[in-house]
This record gives sequence, C-alpha cells and structure tokens, in this order.
Amino acid sequence: MMDENKNIAESPAKETSSKGIRVVYENRRSMGKKQKNLIGSIFKNGLLTVLTVIWLIPILWLVVTAFSANPGISYTRFFPERWTLANFKRIFFAPDSVLQYGRWFWNTLVIAIFSCAISTAFILMVSYAFSCTRFPGRQGMIRFSMILGMFPGVLSMIAVYFIMKSIGLTNSHIGMIVVYSAGSGLGYLIVKGFMDTIPVSMREAARLEGANELQIFFKVMMPLCKPIVVYQIISSFLAPWSDFVFARLMLNSGISKDWTVAIGLYNMLDKTLIHNNFSAFCAGGLIISLPISVLFVIMQKYYVESVTSGSTKG
Amino acid sequence: MRIERRKKKGSGGEALRGFKNYFTDFGSAVKNGDLGTKASLLVMGAGFLARKQIIKGILVTLVELMYFLAFALYSVPYLSKFGTLGTVKMEQSFDPITMQQTTNDYDNSFLILIHSMISLFLLVVFVMYYIHNMKAVYEVQKNAQAGKHVNSFREDLRDMLGKKFHVTLLTLPSIGVVMMNILPILVLVAIAFTNYDQSHMPPASLFTWVGFENFKALFSSGGMTITFGYAFGKVLSWTLIWAVFATFTNFIGGILLAVLINSKGVKFPKMWRSLFVVAIAVPQFVTLILVRNFFRDDGIVNTLCANAGITDFLKNIGLLGANMNYIPFLTSKGWANVMIILINIWVGVPYQMLIATGVLMNAPLDQVESARIDGASSSQVFWKITIPYILVVQGPALITDFVRNINNFNVIYLLTQDVYTTTDQMLANSNAKEVDLLVTWLFRLTNEYYNYKMASVIGIIVFIICVVFTLVSYSRLMAGGREEDYQI
Amino acid sequence: MKKRAIALVMAMMMTASLAGCEGKTQPAQEPVATEPTAAPEANNGTPEEEPVVEVAKADDSAVGNLISATTGTVKLTVWASEEDQDLTKGLIDGFKAQYPDVTFDIQLGACSESVTKDNVLADPTAAADVFAFADDQINELVNAGALQEVAAAYTYDVSKENVAGSVAAATVNGKVYAYPMTADNGYFLYYNKSVFSDDDIKSLDKMIEVAGAANTQIGFELANAWYLFGFFSAQGTDLYARLSSDGVTNECNWNEGVGVDIANALIGYVDTGVFVKAADDASAVSNMKDGKYAAIVNGTWSAAAISEALGADYGAAKLPTFTAGGKEYQMSSFAGYKLIGVNPHSEFVGWSMLLAEYLTNEESQVARFEARGLGPANIKAAASEAVKSDPAIAAIAAQAEYATPQRIGGNFWDPAKSLGEIIGNGNPDKTDVKTLLDNAVEGINAPVASN
Repeated sequence: MMDENKNIAESPAKETSSKGIRVVYENRRSMGKKQKNLIGSIFKNGLLTVLTVIWLIPILWLVVTAFSANPGISYTRFFPERWTLANFKRIFFAPDSVLQYGRWFWNTLVIAIFSCAISTAFILMVSYAFSCTRFPGRQGMIRFSMILGMFPGVLSMIAVYFIMKSIGLTNSHIGMIVVYSAGSGLGYLIVKGFMDTIPVSMREAARLEGANELQIFFKVMMPLCKPIVVYQIISSFLAPWSDFVFARLMLNSGISKDWTVAIGLYNMLDKTLIHNNFSAFCAGGLIISLPISVLFVIMQKYYVESVTSGSTKG
Repeated sequence: MRIERRKKKGSGGEALRGFKNYFTDFGSAVKNGDLGTKASLLVMGAGFLARKQIIKGILVTLVELMYFLAFALYSVPYLSKFGTLGTVKMEQSFDPITMQQTTNDYDNSFLILIHSMISLFLLVVFVMYYIHNMKAVYEVQKNAQAGKHVNSFREDLRDMLGKKFHVTLLTLPSIGVVMMNILPILVLVAIAFTNYDQSHMPPASLFTWVGFENFKALFSSGGMTITFGYAFGKVLSWTLIWAVFATFTNFIGGILLAVLINSKGVKFPKMWRSLFVVAIAVPQFVTLILVRNFFRDDGIVNTLCANAGITDFLKNIGLLGANMNYIPFLTSKGWANVMIILINIWVGVPYQMLIATGVLMNAPLDQVESARIDGASSSQVFWKITIPYILVVQGPALITDFVRNINNFNVIYLLTQDVYTTTDQMLANSNAKEVDLLVTWLFRLTNEYYNYKMASVIGIIVFIICVVFTLVSYSRLMAGGREEDYQI
Repeated sequence: MKKRAIALVMAMMMTASLAGCEGKTQPAQEPVATEPTAAPEANNGTPEEEPVVEVAKADDSAVGNLISATTGTVKLTVWASEEDQDLTKGLIDGFKAQYPDVTFDIQLGACSESVTKDNVLADPTAAADVFAFADDQINELVNAGALQEVAAAYTYDVSKENVAGSVAAATVNGKVYAYPMTADNGYFLYYNKSVFSDDDIKSLDKMIEVAGAANTQIGFELANAWYLFGFFSAQGTDLYARLSSDGVTNECNWNEGVGVDIANALIGYVDTGVFVKAADDASAVSNMKDGKYAAIVNGTWSAAAISEALGADYGAAKLPTFTAGGKEYQMSSFAGYKLIGVNPHSEFVGWSMLLAEYLTNEESQVARFEARGLGPANIKAAASEAVKSDPAIAAIAAQAEYATPQRIGGNFWDPAKSLGEIIGNGNPDKTDVKTLLDNAVEGINAPVASN
C-alpha cells in the first residue's frame, strides 16, 4: 500500500480532461475481443438502466402522485386512478388560509437568495484568509473551526433561538437569513482546498504589479475560482429549501403566510391532514424540485470540477 | 505547490510557548513603556495619541468607553445573578375588575445564563484586546524611538487591504460564528451543569447550578430514567454502526457508480449522470417523507410485494413472523435498520458519484498506463492503483462524512418519526428507539420532554466522540503528510 | 333521544366528579398566578362532598373598565387547528364587531391542537395569546405557567354552561385554567353496517367472528397508548393508569390482577388475523374507506371522511365488550375535550380572556358543530336536535359512561406504546406476558428526574 502510494506520488502532475479516465479504460479494454466488448457494453448499460430505474421510482411516484385526483395516499396503486391538475391549482390559485404555497415559495426564495449571497461571501472571505494569507494563529483558527463544526446543531438550536430573540429577530425573515448565513464561515473547507491548488506564483505576479490583496482577491482569485463559487452558490442556495427544524423553531408565530416551503410542506403532512394533502404535498415538492433539478443538471460540470479539487485538497 | 504543513509537528509545544510569550510581551510592554504607553493602561488610546496617531487613539479610547458602558449597563445586572441563576420567581396577578394583569420583576434563569455567557465572552475578548493594545502601543513607541516610520491612520487603513487583509476578511464571518456557534455551545455546555428540565422551565420556574450531578446520573446505574444507561449504550452503538455503514456504503457506492458510468461501452455517460442527479435535486425532506410513505406497512410497496407473492415467500423462509401479512420495512428493528442504510445509499450515492467522478478525472493516468503495460488486469489496476489513490485524496472528506453521519439528523428523523415503535421496553422507558441516533434522541428529549440538562450532557459526549475520532484519524491519515504527495 | 342526552349529561357529571377527585389529591403546584378571586384551595376532601368548581361571574362594569383603559391597537394572536381556520376567522370577525370602539389586530395562526403544548412550551412568552389545545396537555401547560387562570367570567358562566366533564378537564388543583370548546375528543367504534348488525357490535368476540366470516378486518391502533388504555382500564377490572399525587409521575397497575388476562386476550385477538394493529390514524381511516377494515376505533375528527365513504353503511357506536380470562369486560376509553387557553404572558390578558370566552360561547359552539361536526361542550348547544342525531356524537355520548378523563404523566406514552406494539405483533418473541407488563409498568411509573 505504502509503496504504491509512493509510486503514484512520484507521478508528475498532469492536466487531465474529463475524458481522461475513459480513455484509459478504453485503452485497457481495447485488447479484448469485440464481442466481449459488446456483451460488456450491453451488461453495463443494462445495469445502469436497472439502477436508474431504482433511483427514479420514488421520483416518478412523486411526479405521478402530484397529478393524482385522490388527495390522500394511495395504498394500492402506483399510478393514480384519475389524473388532474387540481393539486397545482389548489396550492397556487386556491390557497386556503393555511396553505399559502405561493407565499412560502416567495419567502423561501428571498431567504435563499440573501443567505446564499452572504454565505458565499463569508466562505470565500474565510477561505482566502486561511488559504492565501499568512498570520499568527492561522493554524490554530483552522483547527478550532474544524472542531467547532462538530457540535450537534440540533442541540444548540434552542440557545440560538433565544439569542436571536434577544435581538428581536425571531419570526422575521431577516432572522432566518442570519441563521442560515451567519455561521457559514465554518464551511470553508472545500473552497479553501480549491484555493490551495491555485499556484502562489499567480498572486505573487499580481503583487509585483502593485495590486493590493483586495485586488488580488477580486481580479486574480475570483476568476480562477469560478467553478467552486458556482458550487458554493448552489449549495448555500439549497439549504433553506430543505431545513424545517430550525425554521419551525424560529418562525413560531403560527402565521402560515410567514412560513418557508419546508415548514409548510412538513405541516401539510400532519397526521390529521395527510388524507387531504398528500398529493398537494407532492405537487409542492415537485415544484421546488424543478428549478433545482435544472440548476443541478446545468451546473453539474462545475459541481464535479470544484468538488474534486475541493474535497481532495481540503 | 504550497508548503503549508511545515510547522505542523510540535504545534502543541508551540502553542504553549506562544501562550507564555503572550503574557511576557505584555509584561515587558508595561515595564518598558514610556509615559504615553503606560497611560494606555488607563486610557487605551493614550499611547497612540502620544505618537500623534490622533484618529486611532480616539477610536481605541471610544471602544474602551463603549465597553465599560456596556459592562456597567448590560453585563453587571446579569453577571451579578450568574452565581444563582436568579432568585425571584415569576408571580402574576390578574385583577378581575380592571381586567389587567400585573407581573412582578422576575428572574429568567435562561436569559441570565445566556446574557452572562455573552458578557463573559465580551469580557474575555476585551481583555485580549486590552493586552494586544498595550503591545501595539509599545510597538509604536519602539518604532518611534528607533526613528522608524509611524503609520498614519490612512496607512493603517491601507494595511487592512494589505498586510492585515485577513483581519478585514475574517471579522464579519467570525462575528457570525461567535453568534451562531460559539455562544450557543457555551450556553449548552453550561446547561449540562444545571437542573434545567421540565420541572424547572423558565420563565415560570427557575433553574440553578448542580455541578456534575447530570454526568453522574448518566454514568451511574440510576440515571435520568431507570434504564438510561442501557439506552445510552444501545443508542451509541447504533449511532456508530450507522455512521460506519452510511459513510462507507455511500463512499464505495459512489466510486462504483462513477466507474461504471465512465467505463467503456456505456453510452451517453452525461445522461446517466444527470438522471442520478435528478434524484438528489428533490430536497431531502421531500424525498425522505415520500420514501417513508412508500414503504409504509400498508403502503404501495407492501401491496405490490403481497401481490407478487414476496411477502408469502419471506414468510416461508422465516424472515417474517407467521402472522405478519406485510413487510415491516420501517417499523420493526433489523428491517428498519437495514432499510435506513439502504435508503441512505439511495440519498447519498449520487452525491458521492459526482465527487468520485471528479476524483477519477484527476487519477494518476501514467500509473494506470504503466501498470497496464506491465500486464496488470483491469481489476488489479482498479484495486491497486485507483482505490488507494481515491482513499488517500478522499481521506479527509471521509472523516468529515463520518462525523456528519454521526450527527445525521434529517435522514433518521424523517424516516422514523411517528413511524417506528420500539419493542424493547427498556429503550421505551427511556424514550429511545433502536433506530435513534444520539442526536435524534436528544432532539426528542428536548423537544418533547424538555430534558435540556440531559440533552446537553449527551450533546457534549457526542461532541467529544467526534472530536477524539477526528483528531485521531486525522493524525493517522496525515502521518508523514501523505496527502501532500497529491497536492501538486 | 332526550333520554340519551340526559344520559350524556349524567355521564359527564360522573366523570367530572372523578376528575375532581383526582385533581384534589394533587398538592398545590406552586401556583403561577396568585389571583384575588381564587377558587377554594384543594383539600383532601372525599369526592362526594366535592362541589364542581365555580368560576365567579364578574360584575359587568369590568368590560367597561377594560374598554376605557384600552387606548392603542389590541394585537392578539390566536392559534387554531388547520381545519378550524375558516370558522375561527368568522368568529374573530364577530368578536371584533362586538367592540366597535376598540381597534383590533387579530392574527390567526395554525397549530394542531394535539401539538399545542410543544409549540407553547418551547417559549411560552412567544406563544399565541389565545390557543386551542387538547385537554391532556393541561397539566404540563399549567406547570409551565403557560395558562392564565380563568379567575372570572364576563360574558357567560364558563363553569355552569358547559358540561361538567369538560369543566373538570379544564381544572387543575381546583382552579379552572381553560375554556371548554368541544366535548368529543375521545374515541369510539366506527363500523360498516353492511358487515355488522346492531347486535354484533356489542361484543368484540362476535365482531371478530363476523368480520372473519366476511373476510374483512377490524383495525385498532394497538401501538398507541391512548387507544390501548381502553382495554387495560376496562370497566370492572380495577386496573388503572393515572397521574399520581405529585402531579408528575404515574400510578399504573396493569401488571396486577387481570392485566395478564387482558394482554393474553389481546394477543389471542391479534392471532386471529382479523383484529389487526392499524399503523396510524391515516391508515386506519383509509383502510376503512377502502373496505379493508370493517370497523375501526377512532374519533369524531374522522367522522366526515368515513361517513362520506360508507354512505348508508356508516355506523358509529360505543366501544364493544371483550373477553379476558373467561370474563366479559366493557372497554373503557379516554374522555377527551378540546379547550381554549389564554397565555398569561399576553400583553392583553383581559382582551384575550374575552376573546376566548367568545370563541367558546354557545353560539360559537353551535357554529363549530354546524361547520365541522364537532360535539359541543356547551350544555344548550349539545342538547339541540341536530347534535343529538349525529351518529358520531351519539356514539361518544354513549361511550362517555365508560370513559375516564385523561390525567396521565408524560412517562405513560412510550412504555405503553411499546407494549402495544409487542402485543400488536402477536408477541413474536414469546416473552412472558407478565414480564412485558412488569416492564411497561416500570417505565410508566418511573420517577421523573429532578435534582
């Protein structure tokens, strides 16, 4: 094991394209017979088809249930008996006093945009400080922040709540933005890892030309960090869409027009409401998933690139 | 390219030395300072004023004044009650004739605790700043005496974008982390030493310090409930089993899937990848609630299994009790534990696949090629080159994932809340279940039973486990700085 | 029909005196509110001489005082269940119209009555000013100082106009802490008339026989301590599970006497494959609608869904008898009420009390019955022909005779639920039944830690 590591370690750096690994496997495979390849290909594509089906069945269930005319859960049928658009109409155009999907969506969108902007900024700032500047206590801070991130957040929730309450930020969307973004500086690991891979020489060159750190930050590092910035934006944008524990505690006035999508959807499945709400819940879930899926599929490339460098070099 | 870990070893000793220097530097600053510097002991900006750093001097003095003001008006009222956490109980009286409620000026133990913690934190920060300030003043004095340039305010500001850029960058995020992480943690640690539970809930009641009672209660046989120690052991072991399985199944699954998608003969790899990505684009709480209903005892999967004869088959081979006419996917121990891990694979593998795809792109191709020329088979290449490579580069991420899984609240809570009922009566007597992680258990203890003191104790223990695990595994993984080999 | 209504009132009186008795045995729990017109302090008097608690009717000038003392906008938040939103909104408008000189800003929030306690106790100072909750939460709410004592009534006599059982349910330590809203939060039997005759449903043994022959099932949420109670505390068993005198821990003796017989009987029922453990409320109701279950035990909240699905075959009745150890016992149940409470931390306690009174007065209770079919706690509202002819409400009235008010500490739920789960699975590990009960009772009676 050690020896092999050494071997790998001695290999020179190499720019690899996304097709690199495929090329290798193709080369390796090209020694085999054509027929064998064909069988292998059929097998692999078949296996992938099976896996994809397994992965997508619950998603398909979400989609078809969203169009189901039966408002509750169907226990016996996968596909609905009758199809309808009523669930979408109900959550958007016929909001009853509690079910205010449009409002929830808007609230969450606003919270997500602001907390995404702040968290991304914070994370980039911390990462740059830890990766590209040198100051006494830096290592200590890095280690300390790593340990800090391990405290179970569920537990500190109640203290966070009262701290926020003492500055009057409960039941407010500003408060939610603070909750989602203020502590985000701790999530710098992946971005810092990415920045670590950018050669110092690039910053040195800029410095020689008289640029200050701020200019280096914006003009040199940011363009190079594009994939990781995109990655970070996506991940911080997604957080408010799925958090319901914190949101439920912080937005505890019970006024449903202040809720986020996550609280609202979670509330729809309350024991006494599930008969009436399950397919509407699916419709709501489907609607938030659509933009996110599109975002994800488009940003996949950046995601892969940045996750790679970040997680490996963290 | 970077040589970052050079000073890694012996950092403990260094920290100690640094700590010592911190105070000796302060001592020499006081001892050797001239009048202006010494005056800074009282008026913090005096030293700067003496060196004609007018704006800086005024600002620093203002900070000092503000702190003293805050201390007197904000900290003192709370800190004075910190020892008892309050003595005046809330009393309200309602006058039925005027229909007005009057409330006495009562103490709220929890607010006293929080604000005392904030006050103590501010005090420590101020003392540190005070010491730092003395040193800075002394530094200025030395520079002035040596005839070196003394910075103007404008130059100091410019430094904030130059030499001291890290201060500019870290200030706001640090304040955020203090507010959202450090202070809450301090408060929660303090609660572990109080009797804050359902019979002592502010604002109506007071709670107070009890020392190590709660820790004793956890580790002595008695405990908070009669079977608490037993439940703690059970929950802890499932937490660790879960964390190991959840981490490694996802990790390996992600690699295998990435290799499969990238391997030769697979048409449209991008399309396959996107399809898997769609599965994770639906927010986790939606998919988990959905899957929970999917696998209900009377749900769609059970109906299909019953129709297909799978239920009967399982009954025949003894996996199901004779009077079970459904498969208890999420409702019986064993089944539920396995299902949770499987569902977690479903949730997590696409993420890991994306990461692994990226890692594989950077795989050491020369090694693979030369090994291949040496006649290594594809599986040899995979196991002897690709996997070790991935393990080394992904090592730190694996550790973070492990810790994240120990604290993986969402998956367990959303899959088992209101669904799973324990049949282990010893667990039930402590409000725990076989599928509980320590975090979900303590969430229930706080959220439904208001047992904040024991939840804090558990939280501290989870924290210690995570920290010890991380430090040990990091130091092992990082021994010899192996990961550096790949940091080109 | 009239007889039945009288029986209902009688039954509620009986449960009230029982509840009063239990309330009595508790020591005063560090009262959170000291009030000038306090009801007589609890003593250890015997239940017979225990008068029903009374809320003093304040003189009429009080409301006038309040109106003249109110200058700015009165901001209130009300929590009602999601199903109650439209109705409550209408009632709030009615309330506002009563006081045209006062500016109100009343917000209506959604909070299911079954979880009100969790939402209130997280931070009582941030909870709604007026909230609806199920009566089982009253002890914890009072202990946490989250309920304003109903020291006086202004627009109607809270203690006299509501059925005694509901007032007892709103009473802790001899003081009334909430306004009764509905008297229907217990459970009873729903059955399919096409399967069972009126005679069949008197005995569970007969029902199982009939349902088995008809190839259907009877669903019962065994793994739910609330329902399981109905079997173990059946009439004539001397078994009990109740709050002990300290107001926090429980007293339960299910492991004594005929407890083992009952557990064995239940396991026997489960073994028939006809009497099955329903997963939860939703699944019970859903299976009832689909015809998989021919009978379930559930509450009024499902009445609309079931009657719609079954149409003419819709039936509701008191719980059946069952046989344990060769003897027949009548199933008991928890008598449940929904109450409205006022938050003592409210900025406008006086207005909150008036609003709570308005939301629970006779007209509002009638409106609640008409809109949602919920059984009124108000005596006059409950006596109306429409209420009495509602099958679900008639069933709960019939069951009231055998029902016990719900006074039980938090440690009851998980151990009893676990016991029910084991029984519902037919005791797969063949653990000694006595051991099962001993373990459950140990957990139920466990001390609540407090240093």
